[in-house]
This record gives sequence, C-alpha cells and structure tokens, in this order.
Amino acid sequence: MATPFAAMLDSLTKQRGVTAALVVSERDGIIVDSNLQIGQPGEKVAALAAFLYRKARLSARAAGMGAVSFMQLEAPAGRICAVGGGSLVLVVVAETSVNVGMVRMELLRAVEGLVAADGAREEGG
Amino acid sequence: MTPMMVVESWIEGPLRQFVSDAGAELALLLHPSGQVLAQHGFARAVDVMSACALAAGIQASAGELGKQLDGKPFSGMHHVGRNRQIFLAEAASPRGAYIFLTVFGPESSLGLVRLYFNELVAGLAAAAPADTPQTAPALAEHFERDLNRNLAVLFGRA
Repeated sequence: MATPFAAMLDSLTKQRGVTAALVVSERDGIIVDSNLQIGQPGEKVAALAAFLYRKARLSARAAGMGAVSFMQLEAPAGRICAVGGGSLVLVVVAETSVNVGMVRMELLRAVEGLVAADGAREEGG
Repeated sequence: MTPMMVVESWIEGPLRQFVSDAGAELALLLHPSGQVLAQHGFARAVDVMSACALAAGIQASAGELGKQLDGKPFSGMHHVGRNRQIFLAEAASPRGAYIFLTVFGPESSLGLVRLYFNELVAGLAAAAPADTPQTAPALAEHFERDLNRNLAVLFGRA
C-alpha cells in the first residue's frame, strides 16, 4: 500500500543524481518512509541528517534568523539536502553533480505535502 | 561531569566513545545477572545497584515476552518519558551477552542512540581481550560478593 509520502519520494528520486530520499522524524531520527538503493545506510543517514537539521533549526532560531527553509551539506563524495515540515524532515542524498537548484525546488514544493501528511498522521494516532 | 567508571578497563574506550557521540546522560553496562561492569553519569552506588537490578529484570521479562509472542527474545526496548528517554538492549560481546542501558535527553535522539549503540557493540567486540574466557553466569552464592566488589571498584571503596 502506498504511503502518504510515496509520491513526493518518487518525484525526488527521479531527479538525476539523487540516490536516496527519506522522510524522517525530526525528534527521533527514525525513518518514516524512504526510497533507498540496496546497501545504502538509510538508518545512519536518517539519524545524522535529522540531528543536523534540528541543530540548524535551533541555531537559526537562537540567532534570530527565523525558520530554516532549506539545509544543504556538501561533502567530497556527495550532498545531503533537507527541509522540515511539522515534526518531519525530508532528506535527499545526492551525488555532487546533482542540480541543487532542481532538488531545492522539489524539496520546497514537497514541504506542504509533508506538513499535511504529518498532520493526518498525528490525527490518526 | 560525573566520570566514567569501569570494572574492566577494555570497556572504557568504546563506552566513552558512545557517551560522547550519542550525547547520553547515563550509561550502564551490566551482566545479565545484574552485576555492574561500567557506568557513566551515576553519582551514587545505590542508584547503580537499583538501575542494574531493574534493567536485568526488564531485559529478562522482555526476553521471555518476546519468546512467547514471537518465538525469540526481544533484543531491545525504548521508553519515552516527558523529558528523557531510555534505551535498553542486549550488547553481545566476545565475553558473552551483556545488557546496556542508556538514558538520553532532547539533545540526542533514538536514531543516534541506535546508531552509536551498534558502534559500541562493534567497539566492545574489537576491544575485548582475546585470551579471557567468556564471562560465566554469576552463581547465587557469589552474587552479592561480586556485586559489592564491582560497586566498590566503581565508586572507589575497594
């Protein structure tokens, strides 16, 4: 059965250079839903990306900069991009060659759906 | 900060790394019988003794419940409190299965704790002395003596 996040995850992983997309609980760092390739360490990525995102969000708020809209981590072998919505974080793992602008646009577009699905999930218990 | 205390020195490195990486407030490694092997964050021996007894009891109960429901013991447990969370799991090592209990607050997360718990288990496996036999189960007549000895080692009253 398709989850409320399946469509947004599919649209993200269709982007050239995107290797994984995950919906993660920001508080717990646990995967809610994901599109992963075999062998990818999804649980590690989820735990660390959610932790980073939460720290970035708290830092931005403490600095009076408002809400974090988009977070990007660049490393020699790839990139991690994330946006938050409700209690969830949408995380994308991508190659360095990825079109970050396209990924950013897709992620920001997905935020509304993320918040709506999170709200429905919370109401459903 | 409360120092880390270990009964056997090979445990210290992996446990220190776990506490640092996972941001744990309390950590406890014990034998399934309830005898403490290492602790971080506890200030009093009586608290360690209570936590060990409770952890051993919970792990034994959860293991039996898992066998009844699923045919095999549940290997871990997570409980969310108002401000803090508890993670309790079996930590396999070359010297036998131990029980690991950790308490963490909002600065950490279950995902991080699970991630670094796996690294702790790998670290214990790598650090365990090769020439020592597997830890034998505590005998009832030695239990209190061994428990008191371990607590005395940890809290400097040996």
